[in-house]
Amino acid sequence: MITVNPLRPAAPHPGRWRGEAGEHMTMLRVAAVQASYVLMNQQATVDRVATLTAAAAGQGAQLVVFPEVFVPGTPIWIDTQPIWEGDEDWFALLAENAVVLPGPASDRLAAIAAEHRVWLVVGVDERDQHGATIYNTVLYFSPGGQLAGRHRKLMPTGSERTVWGMGDGSSLAVVDTGPARVGGLTCWENYMPLARFHLYAQGVDVWIAPTLAPGDGWIATMRHIARENRMFVIGVNPVLHADQVPAGFPARDRLLPPGYLDRNGPWLEEGNTVIVAPGGEVLAGPVRQREQTLIADLDLRDAVIQRRHLDPVGHYNRPDIFRLHVDTSPHRAVSVTSNARRPEEHHGGPDEQRIPDQHARS
Amino acid sequence: MEPVKVAAVQAAPVLLDRDATIGKVVALAEKAAAEGARLVAFPEAFVPGYPDWVWRTRPWDATASALYARLLDQAVVAGSAAADVLGETARRLGIWLCVGADEREETGSTLYNTLFCFAPDGTLVARHRKLMPTGGERLVWGTGDGSTLDVTDTGFGRLGGLICWENYMPLARAALYARGVDIYLAPTWDNSDVWVPTLRHIAKEGRTYVLGITSCIRATDLPEDLPGRAELYGGADDWLSRGNTAIVSPGGDLLAGPLTGEEGIVYAEIDAGRARACRQQFDPAGHYSRADVLRLTVEATPQAAVSFIGRDDHGEPAPAGGSAPGPLAG
Repeated sequence: MITVNPLRPAAPHPGRWRGEAGEHMTMLRVAAVQASYVLMNQQATVDRVATLTAAAAGQGAQLVVFPEVFVPGTPIWIDTQPIWEGDEDWFALLAENAVVLPGPASDRLAAIAAEHRVWLVVGVDERDQHGATIYNTVLYFSPGGQLAGRHRKLMPTGSERTVWGMGDGSSLAVVDTGPARVGGLTCWENYMPLARFHLYAQGVDVWIAPTLAPGDGWIATMRHIARENRMFVIGVNPVLHADQVPAGFPARDRLLPPGYLDRNGPWLEEGNTVIVAPGGEVLAGPVRQREQTLIADLDLRDAVIQRRHLDPVGHYNRPDIFRLHVDTSPHRAVSVTSNARRPEEHHGGPDEQRIPDQHARS
Repeated sequence: MEPVKVAAVQAAPVLLDRDATIGKVVALAEKAAAEGARLVAFPEAFVPGYPDWVWRTRPWDATASALYARLLDQAVVAGSAAADVLGETARRLGIWLCVGADEREETGSTLYNTLFCFAPDGTLVARHRKLMPTGGERLVWGTGDGSTLDVTDTGFGRLGGLICWENYMPLARAALYARGVDIYLAPTWDNSDVWVPTLRHIAKEGRTYVLGITSCIRATDLPEDLPGRAELYGGADDWLSRGNTAIVSPGGDLLAGPLTGEEGIVYAEIDAGRARACRQQFDPAGHYSRADVLRLTVEATPQAAVSFIGRDDHGEPAPAGGSAPGPLAG
């Protein structure tokens, strides 16, 4: 099937501006959606993605980015409670509402991307079809409605390690949208210099950093990373007020124990969404304590022009000294050898083909 | 681990006058030591100054060449009398003294952008040559090798650092993190607004104290006899660098500074034990690395274009069974 890419219209063909003398320069309009999820409710949160994507597309956005584990939200109890204390029902809810690939949620997200002809990037709590381990995953859907990329966070942070497993090197690929190469890391993964370098080396023009991290320190990191690889950076956070925890949420009173909000304030997710230029200048945001979609027009030439100053994987690198080795093979727990013909259902049926090889389920 | 006071000195060199600038280093180190600083750090290429003209001249102009010739003449040679003054100052004051310099080998004509660190006993314990100069700097400085990416234990924390935009080399930083750096020096010329976010990011990425040290100098600070002075430089409003010296905690918070538009010494109390405890949250070389996926190798062998067999680098007969001098010999 031939899909129409709104970032690369058929006529006149703007091409990739690099290396095609006389062609048009390319602008990219992006949207960073700072919004609240409906806690542990996959369907209602995907509804929100649909509404907010439609609004962003209505403003001309070609790339629409949602926060870390937006569907179905952050397992916030891991920081409001002692570990594993009375969290059974909450975890069950998380597992039930987690996104399975392929599945109804990913089908709907793909359809939303296709309907609005946008690149759609959404953080999800993901699990394998028959698995009980949750992964912190970012999904990339193309305007043609294809799952074009999937990144499982390599390393959760602190208490997150009690709910999320670890991804492997197979999902550290950059997605080529046409005019821009798009990639990124999730939350504190952005502090992993080697992971960043591996992505830089693949060529990234627009970096996506879905996160929960609040505060100015995170903004400093967004600006540093932009300047380190001379690329645009989109940092995108959810925002959630304590009042937005659904009334019927199991053990709602225990979820936010007395004193917790007094100590930490009413914002369970404060928001911190920001868009940064390749020189490290803030283009939009940071926005906090409210829902807002940041829109910015990115002049993709800047990502290249700036690299004449500094290119961490090119002229500002020292490959004679530093050599990074990356294992991009999927780490599978079990390797089966059998004389028998492999049953077709082993990989979940024909839908599996929609997931690129490097993203095949482990 | 005892908390100690450290000092980051924002000052103007006497541009292209090595001895006068070293005189300034000595005076300012004395002042900081009198305030109780156990470690005193100076900016990038402070002795005898950053070659600012690379951004103002056409590359091979006569003025640029005259300035380069003077820089070569005024450069610091490890083991020379000028370097000994720095070591002696560290010993006399009982401090760790870290000074950026334009460095060259005694018999060499290539300059390096080097960070010298002298221990309180006066010995030169670290000499880091910047791995990669930036833009116009590449016409003035050569490149260091992987042999000087060391971290030194001061007793109150492990000391290391990178110079200016070298701090945008993720792999070089990863190498220092793996060495356990607690006190990270970032001498720089970058006095843009975006530099301070970088200091904060590095602090949080490495869970290390970061000292950003920048020169503060304007045209009226320049010697009258500087080649091209009238042609290239203006008056008091012509800043070569306004400075932005700052000290950042391992959590990424500013402890002191940034200081801009004036000379001064920025102090902070640091506790390496706190930096290490902070790595419970994030340790880029430990629990937050993924060695099964991402593995860095560093070539730390000194790179020598020419090796002499049977003679040492100075042409003297090599002692029987003796090994080649290390990178800090001299």
